[in-house]
Amino acid sequence: MQYITRESAFHRLHPFTKLIFVIVVVLLAVLTSDTAMLAVLVGAVVAVAAAGGLARDLLRQVPLLVSLAVSLLVLTILTIQNGEILGYLVPQSVPVIGGAFPVTVGAIDLAVAMTLRFAAMLFAFQLFVISTQPRDLVHLLDRLRMPVDYTLMLLIALRFIPSLQLEGKRIHEAQLARAYNPGRGISGKVRGLFPIIIPLVSNSLGKATVLGLTIDLRGYRSGLRTPMRDLAPGRVDVAGVCCMGLLVAGYLAMLVI
Amino acid sequence: MSPETGRETALSLESVSYTYPGSDSPALDGIDLNIGRGEIVFITGPTGAGKTTLCLAASGILHHEYGGTLEGTITILGKSVRDYRSMAEIGRHVGVVFDDADAQLIFSTVEEEVASGLENLGIPRAEMQQRLHDVMEATRIADLADRAPHTLSGGQKQRVAIAATLVLGTEILVLDEPTAELDAEATDAVSTLLRRLADKGTAVLIVEQKLNELAAIADRMVLIEDGKIAQEGQPTGLMQACLLQSPAGGARHPAPAAARTPSIISIRGLVHRYDGVTALSGVSLEVAPAEIVAVVGENGSGKTTLVKHFNGLLRPTRGSVIVDGLDAGSVPIAELARHVGLVFQNPDTMLFAETVEEEVAFGLKNIDPGSTGEPIDMALREVGLLHRKGAYPRSLSRGERQRLAIACVIAMRPRVIVLDEPTTGLDAREAARVMETLGRLRQDGHTIVMVTHDMLLGEEYADRIVRMEQGRIVDDRRMYEEEPCPKLCSISPGRAPFTASTRSPN
Repeated sequence: MQYITRESAFHRLHPFTKLIFVIVVVLLAVLTSDTAMLAVLVGAVVAVAAAGGLARDLLRQVPLLVSLAVSLLVLTILTIQNGEILGYLVPQSVPVIGGAFPVTVGAIDLAVAMTLRFAAMLFAFQLFVISTQPRDLVHLLDRLRMPVDYTLMLLIALRFIPSLQLEGKRIHEAQLARAYNPGRGISGKVRGLFPIIIPLVSNSLGKATVLGLTIDLRGYRSGLRTPMRDLAPGRVDVAGVCCMGLLVAGYLAMLVI
Repeated sequence: MSPETGRETALSLESVSYTYPGSDSPALDGIDLNIGRGEIVFITGPTGAGKTTLCLAASGILHHEYGGTLEGTITILGKSVRDYRSMAEIGRHVGVVFDDADAQLIFSTVEEEVASGLENLGIPRAEMQQRLHDVMEATRIADLADRAPHTLSGGQKQRVAIAATLVLGTEILVLDEPTAELDAEATDAVSTLLRRLADKGTAVLIVEQKLNELAAIADRMVLIEDGKIAQEGQPTGLMQACLLQSPAGGARHPAPAAARTPSIISIRGLVHRYDGVTALSGVSLEVAPAEIVAVVGENGSGKTTLVKHFNGLLRPTRGSVIVDGLDAGSVPIAELARHVGLVFQNPDTMLFAETVEEEVAFGLKNIDPGSTGEPIDMALREVGLLHRKGAYPRSLSRGERQRLAIACVIAMRPRVIVLDEPTTGLDAREAARVMETLGRLRQDGHTIVMVTHDMLLGEEYADRIVRMEQGRIVDDRRMYEEEPCPKLCSISPGRAPFTASTRSPN
């Protein structure tokens, strides 16, 4: 998840407008557990991304969301028994333990709602990150009087995600070149982690020291920040805020109905 | 005033000694060094001599960020580093380029990266724009302005890291191997820029292995060995002294007589595209068994992309790659690894085991689970690491780790061995040792393909040089057809001291 150089409408929005968008989506996602409303919210965020030509970038998170959905489903089935019983994890025909772990409508509803809620928040945050240059983010947080340490922490976190991905890919390639074939499936993936995780952690720790020093030496604590370019809100931001207003109004109307 | 030059002192180290936490022996031992305003001091020395530690000391990092025992006095612009409150305060006067370019790149576009420090100086926007433009032009990265730094080649990253530091306009520059991955043209551009900055009054401390390119712009040269200043003087005089002391290097190993047909690597019309970038456009190449081929070219010319096709890490967008009779476009990587070994530029990319022996055994057991210890010993003996069999791989020196990476590959006995920048980060003695090992492997019938931006390395050790530009092969020449290597032991003018570059008669 990192900034993508592109000329999309979402890119042209002022970072503050985009931040408001994220906050609005998070609030709306938290305020309801209704799966239909959450589905509409996810749909709205994806529609915004599609309008900006960024939908494909969001869809890269789908495998993560699917694995989250499966984990949540298992967890809720094991812990929640609410509403109509649709079936059993252990078929009733099995002797002694047959009929254990009933699958209820309530458990499925909750798992779906939590997945949709997470998807809405993740997509909104991703849209914000991939369309906002990190320096604009730093300037925005600076203007919002965010303490510099927190801003730098966010900057480093955003910087480290692609860096870790790249380093992990490089290490994976190096081990593949040594004929390493951990096999397929979950056990293969787990086995495959071992020769990657040690070099990844060791190399990343070394890089973190240099990164911290670089940030200090580039004067991020100087308090003398002059943005290279002025980002003033424009018509596109007015349109963006109007769209968000419509989204909130529609959401509230659905809540009332 | 600097006693050596009569210039006003910008940076001074007096009797500086430093011992890392947990270490018994000092990394720096009684260093006395003054650098005047407008002076370029060039520091060199073997791997592990203490050059990077000296950079950390001179920029105040050892005092402010590291533990360990630091003795002596370090003064920056007349003020002791102890009196600076933090690295942020030192950063207003000292610009540092670290040897790991990757770790210094924070932002999402090259322009944003270079501008990031400028935006914290509190200077007018017009001046910022001008400085940004000038530095990006001078370091030749203007055409990369919109690229994401993490997608650049090693050399391009290094240029961005240099630009991001130079743009700050600090009075002192401390540069740790800033041009290690740069080709000759880019090194020349950086050297010219540094000289220009020095002429305007900037004090420059530069650590490098590339003597010829950088000593030419230096006012003074310092040779460090075992944490001490071994020699100091005018670059020309000191270079000569170093060369006279240099040990005789290994001989160039001729190719076995019957090793010319048929091709072991055959590439036809290879095209590779990714993310809208055409990295290779119609490359064709035939490599004979037991050849040493150097693939050279500027940073970003497609060298690494080309060799990653040999073992299936990259698959052709179009065209074919046949290696040892296998179609590298479709055969699984694990199968290709039996035929092609790839040594990555940074050995730390692959080291994960508890001991050197286990590290070598890893690849071997992947292709032959029932293998014994004999091939491991043989490979370690070949690279001179048999005595370090029980050591923790990451505790080895940089040169030893590079040789271990080669041992990991040769234990698997692939017919083709590919090395990506095999000597980057190594001093000339270690580099010569690595190249001698490759020469012996070729004698045993292995085909060696090495990617390097160092033309001199190719000229010294390869049978054939393939030069790439913008994803194409623009030159392909055999070395000993043009020059039959009559010299038993010659010293190439372009190599660093501590060794003699050699070429034996074929």
